Amino acid sequence: MKFSHSICALFTLLSCSTFAANDTQSLPVCPTTSHQLSHNDTFGVQYQLSGAQHGTLQLLRSQAQTAYYNPENGVAEWWNFAIADHPSFIRVFAKHQRRIDYYTGDLRTLNIKVSQAEMESFATAQLLKQLSHKGPATCDGSQVYEGDVKQMHYRVIWSDELGLPLELSITHNGQTKQWQAQKLIPANEVELTLSRWQQFSDTDYADIGDNETDPFLAQMINQGFVEHSEHAVYDSKGKPMHGEHIH
Amino acid sequence: MKLNAIVLAMTTAIAALALTGCGDDGENGAVGATGPAGQNGTNGQNGNDGRDHTAVNQWFTQGQATVANASETSVSDPKGRAKNIILFVGDGMGVSTLTAARIYQGQQRGESGEENRLSFETFPYSGLVKTYSSNQQTPDSAPTMSAIVSGVKTKDGIISVSDAAIRGNCTSGQGNEVMSALELAEIAGMSTGVVSTARLTHATPAATYSHSVERNWESDRDMPQAALDAGCHDIASQLIDFPYGDGIEVALGGGRSYFMPNTVTDPEYARAGRRNDGRNLTTEWTSKYSDGAYVWNREQFLAVDTSTTHHLLGLFENSHMQYEADRADDAAGEPSLAEMTSRALDVLKQNDKGYFLMVEAGRIDHAHHAGNASRALQDTVALSEAVRVAMEKADNDTLILVTADHSHVFTIAGYPVRGNPILGLVRGVDDSGEAAATYTTDSNGMPYTTLGYANGPGFGFGSDAMNTDSYRPDLNLYNVTDVDYRQEATVPMDSETHAGEDVAVYARGPGAQLVTGSVEQNLLFHVMNYAGDLAARAEANQN
Repeated sequence: MKFSHSICALFTLLSCSTFAANDTQSLPVCPTTSHQLSHNDTFGVQYQLSGAQHGTLQLLRSQAQTAYYNPENGVAEWWNFAIADHPSFIRVFAKHQRRIDYYTGDLRTLNIKVSQAEMESFATAQLLKQLSHKGPATCDGSQVYEGDVKQMHYRVIWSDELGLPLELSITHNGQTKQWQAQKLIPANEVELTLSRWQQFSDTDYADIGDNETDPFLAQMINQGFVEHSEHAVYDSKGKPMHGEHIH
Repeated sequence: MKLNAIVLAMTTAIAALALTGCGDDGENGAVGATGPAGQNGTNGQNGNDGRDHTAVNQWFTQGQATVANASETSVSDPKGRAKNIILFVGDGMGVSTLTAARIYQGQQRGESGEENRLSFETFPYSGLVKTYSSNQQTPDSAPTMSAIVSGVKTKDGIISVSDAAIRGNCTSGQGNEVMSALELAEIAGMSTGVVSTARLTHATPAATYSHSVERNWESDRDMPQAALDAGCHDIASQLIDFPYGDGIEVALGGGRSYFMPNTVTDPEYARAGRRNDGRNLTTEWTSKYSDGAYVWNREQFLAVDTSTTHHLLGLFENSHMQYEADRADDAAGEPSLAEMTSRALDVLKQNDKGYFLMVEAGRIDHAHHAGNASRALQDTVALSEAVRVAMEKADNDTLILVTADHSHVFTIAGYPVRGNPILGLVRGVDDSGEAAATYTTDSNGMPYTTLGYANGPGFGFGSDAMNTDSYRPDLNLYNVTDVDYRQEATVPMDSETHAGEDVAVYARGPGAQLVTGSVEQNLLFHVMNYAGDLAARAEANQN
């Protein structure tokens, strides 16, 4: 399972936790009504997962950086595509103020290959090409897409301005999971968060083997948050999530 | 540690060779119970008993005695015959890694592989090295390299400080520093060099030039405030502030961010340096050495005039350098280990007093930790090529040692036919002894690879096609010779671990005869010291 084929795991991942979710169904945010955002701006979107699973996930974007952050377990996966062929990847553990940095060679030994477009689009850039355009949605500049891909039914409300879905529903075997954009996260908050993460104590992934007695690393390893596998996505207990393929 | 401390130790120790862990104040190097009292240092302060580890440290004295014994019976080269010393270390390069790399290299040339020899396997002398540290059966790189370059075994995580220290406790290490062969060489007026594909501040290279009770104190940012307040210094700064001789002549490797302040952005990556103290150690290098140069990519590196540049610092990656398998794809360009070795020797050979060079293939270890044999083998072959360069460039007055700090739980299994791809599935022989038509299978009828690990992350390429009946993947479905393939592991662990068995050592040149049989790891220092007479040369050069 290469990373580029498992982006859908993001939908189940960071936020498929066991905490009690807010079942209140809010409408997707309409970013252009209150913010004049564009695809290249610094901003964030908080998604709420409802239906068969519950959880919260924040997508943070700043220039070539994209991070997915689960505020409940404090784990983030932070990509920087400034050098497109050699993206850097950092796993953030905010509650411990620690990071694990993955360099190019590390990603290769883990067989992790990602698409910048997929990361930046909440893993729906390729999906849209396989769905049917159903017309405009309620938010200005947003469109509805729908269709079946590999026994999964998808419905997407896509914001052209943000380059992100405002709503994504996945139905499989009669169960539906729905990601809904709940709120926009302002630029200063995103920048502050990324800046704070930058200051955390860091460990190179390659050095973990020499530092497994580090209590933090031992805890994260035991919980499954750090492993030498293709998984980069975990539930709140650190269990790798096996997402459905969307390609 | 200042020079007077060394002189002091030499005058107080019962042996001619006495390398001190004295503090920098010329403390009294009082020796062990049977030794004479040490003289006061220049400031007249008395030191603590046992500071002179050369007389009381069991590892040091036993290693010294072993060499002395051997030199009276079997060694034909007199002490000090070696003008130069080159020490190669394959980090994590256990014997199984050597065997697999030997076959891999041969097969890359289109041969069957088994008959191939890595460059250093042609050396006339070899032996087995016990790698345990003073507190662990299976060690990490910090105590093992400390043993190799200082003659003293110590605890895991500690760099060139005796095991009187407590890991992570700054004050416990003060006064217990042990002198390395590289430091002695500098004091002796020789040129010195450190080359690594890992960060230059990583444990193995760090043990040659620094002293730290915590291997992870690579920059000031990595240190607790209490340690900074207590006067401990980060490893990167110790390279630049190196106090002996005229400073280290060549330092090439990775770890650029550890030398840069957090206010400066890396030239290759959009990341800031990691130093909190504001020091830019790369500019300090060129300021400190009027004949110095700093480079950070291959083009700059190859453009250096080695006839006029006598202090060369090269930092080719933010962290560790690329694996050899990925090196050509590096955006900024990185030199190979062989290229670094070659140019390091060009610089060092200009000194009539000789040189000491340590070269580490640092990423063999990392690839093994990741359970990725292909990259580990390619980096081992790269080390072989670096040794080949040294064999060509070094004269007969040079002792060359090739060894490893520790092993990995890496295995070569099954009964594959000769010439079977070393990264491939096991294909045995049939009744007539010819290659079988089908792969050898396990008790579930599933094929398996020749190479594997006793523990670690295990099977690569994800979890798509796991065979749920046998709980092993059906390897028929995968290209197991792919560079990215991760071999299976018996015990599932996050990271494959080091192993505790002996590693090999190969030697050629003056004093190489001492490398034979089964030896303690700290003996290797004593072999180098005997061959190069480093301590005596250091003492003589102070007078």
